[in-house]
Amino acid sequence: MDTALKDTLLALYEGKLTRQMMLNLETCTRCGLCTKACHAYASMPLPKYAPAYRAEVVRRIYKKYFLPLGGLWGRLGEAKPLDDAALEELNEAAYSCTGCRRCMVYCPFGVDTQQIMSIAKLLLIGAGTEPEVLTMLADMSISKGEAIDSMKEGFLGGLKRLEEQVVAKWKVEAGAVPIPTDVEGADTLYVALAGAHSIVPAAAIFNAAGEKWTLSFFEAVNFGAFVGDPAKTKLILNRIVDEALRLKVKQVCVCECGTAVRVLKQLSGEQPFTVTSLTEMHARYLREGRIAVRKLPGSYTYHDPCQIARNGGVMDEPRYILSRIVEDYREMAPEPAYNWCCGGGGGLVAMGEDTLDFRMKSSKVKAEQIAATKAAIVTTACENCHTQLENVNTHYGLGTEVRFLSSLLADALAAR
Amino acid sequence: MHAFSWFVLVPMVYAAVLVFLVGMAWRIGRILKRPAFAPPLTLFPVKRPAWLYALSDTLFMPRVLRHNRTLWIALMAFHLGLAVLIIGHLELIREFKILQIIPHAIFPGKGLVGLVMLLSLAYFLVRRAFSPTKELSTPEDSLVLVLLMAVVLFGSQMDWARTWYGYESMGLPEYRGYMWSLLTLKPDPSMVLSAGHAFMLVAHVLFANLLLMVFPFTHLPHAMFSFALNRVRRG
Repeated sequence: MDTALKDTLLALYEGKLTRQMMLNLETCTRCGLCTKACHAYASMPLPKYAPAYRAEVVRRIYKKYFLPLGGLWGRLGEAKPLDDAALEELNEAAYSCTGCRRCMVYCPFGVDTQQIMSIAKLLLIGAGTEPEVLTMLADMSISKGEAIDSMKEGFLGGLKRLEEQVVAKWKVEAGAVPIPTDVEGADTLYVALAGAHSIVPAAAIFNAAGEKWTLSFFEAVNFGAFVGDPAKTKLILNRIVDEALRLKVKQVCVCECGTAVRVLKQLSGEQPFTVTSLTEMHARYLREGRIAVRKLPGSYTYHDPCQIARNGGVMDEPRYILSRIVEDYREMAPEPAYNWCCGGGGGLVAMGEDTLDFRMKSSKVKAEQIAATKAAIVTTACENCHTQLENVNTHYGLGTEVRFLSSLLADALAAR
Repeated sequence: MHAFSWFVLVPMVYAAVLVFLVGMAWRIGRILKRPAFAPPLTLFPVKRPAWLYALSDTLFMPRVLRHNRTLWIALMAFHLGLAVLIIGHLELIREFKILQIIPHAIFPGKGLVGLVMLLSLAYFLVRRAFSPTKELSTPEDSLVLVLLMAVVLFGSQMDWARTWYGYESMGLPEYRGYMWSLLTLKPDPSMVLSAGHAFMLVAHVLFANLLLMVFPFTHLPHAMFSFALNRVRRG
């Protein structure tokens, strides 16, 4: 690594050193309590998968360059220079961590490994050694957003084809548009993912609840966040914020995508609209009696998407929804905060086949947790989790069906 | 007076305190100078008031209790012992009547506090010799533990010598005389150097000095950072 690159990377590192980050870097006593909290370590007990070990990979560089006596005292603290070997270690640490923050549930101090990994991801971007596919996806997403006007016609044509499916789930009044778009003054802007599964059930439920809603032209998923690029994250986020401001909506409802929910909720800043997840919205409809439902047959369990539950606080809502629409619900974890990560977060699912082997090996505990419920259907409220759980289902031969919670609720819709 | 003993008991004490204070002010100052990260980093579910739960996390370590009971017992024993001994050292300066709720000569616990702390520290050290904590640990972690053990061992030795073996020639008046002389910047360690077990005091102060001097440059300030970080997690 040449000096110029090293200086650039150290400047990037320094830019990440907020007050909280420094506390994260300077407080860990390496007690190892977090070790058994990590699904990767619990599935494959190798020290490199211990959260504190991953954090230490980033911390060693900090000790070398940002702590006093880095060179002298650094030897005792195992400070390490930022070189090519360090980049390799950073890559393995960052992309074996899904950012689920289960380790924080165990840590006596609350050291945030996901935050520390954001340094690793940024350094990898700076060195141009981040997973190429994630940057490509982020760039594509940005380009799509920039060319939205030229893509609108095709998008609207696609929606027209989905309208029949929406009406099949819930009939709309004569003249009403099943999937409204670009409605100024709508109460809710719904930000979905590309694909009927993210739009059809949600549209049917909005219509059943009599919601004044409009569908966003933009995709909710934020590949900038997956790759850990703050600039791209903000760019992808801002176009949704701008659309919400332009349409003067009261709230932005984010589809079943954990990262999108967390990014929009936590990074939108002070806005004249609120941000809510689709699951919260659906629970509210049920509580307010805005939709009627029937009970569905079968046995169900629920997988808490980490970014929505542990990191977003949406834990009671999915359970409330399930209590209203299924007879046989089986809790997966004694406490939602302890639910194992599916192993697909942090961009790992988006990296597809490249990470499949690791994802399957590291999700052994998740597979065991699902199998222990003996439920026929696993529900979840996150696209990434859904994909990963389907992979887990096949890999471990669990014989379950994986369903989106919204799709289940749409199936349970009943006439009043 | 032996020059080495004088060096440890006088200039090194001042130097250690100075390094500790400046080091800690610098370490805390550079964190405070950094911008705060604006988006919330809360871990759910949340409980209110957050500050109270963060304080409870800091003082009682409920997460350790839940996930590793043996470690929790050792941590509580060590930290409570440390608190008792730190408070106990105040009595080496002057009398605090409130601290005599449980009557004692110099330190409460008849030497058992130090013994419990030593056992806890030994457990921490042994724990670091086994996987996976072994792979996570750095030489700094062990060094800090060894230093702490040395401080506690020689400190306890004095207590044990005085209470268990009848070495009473160095008692409260001598300690207070020495401590006052340090505080009033008229250092005179002669009164604590006459006893046969004075070497224990010299060793105790030597290791305490070293510990104070390395303190700001290790992970030991976790004691100060714990509440702040727990507060971030609690939201």
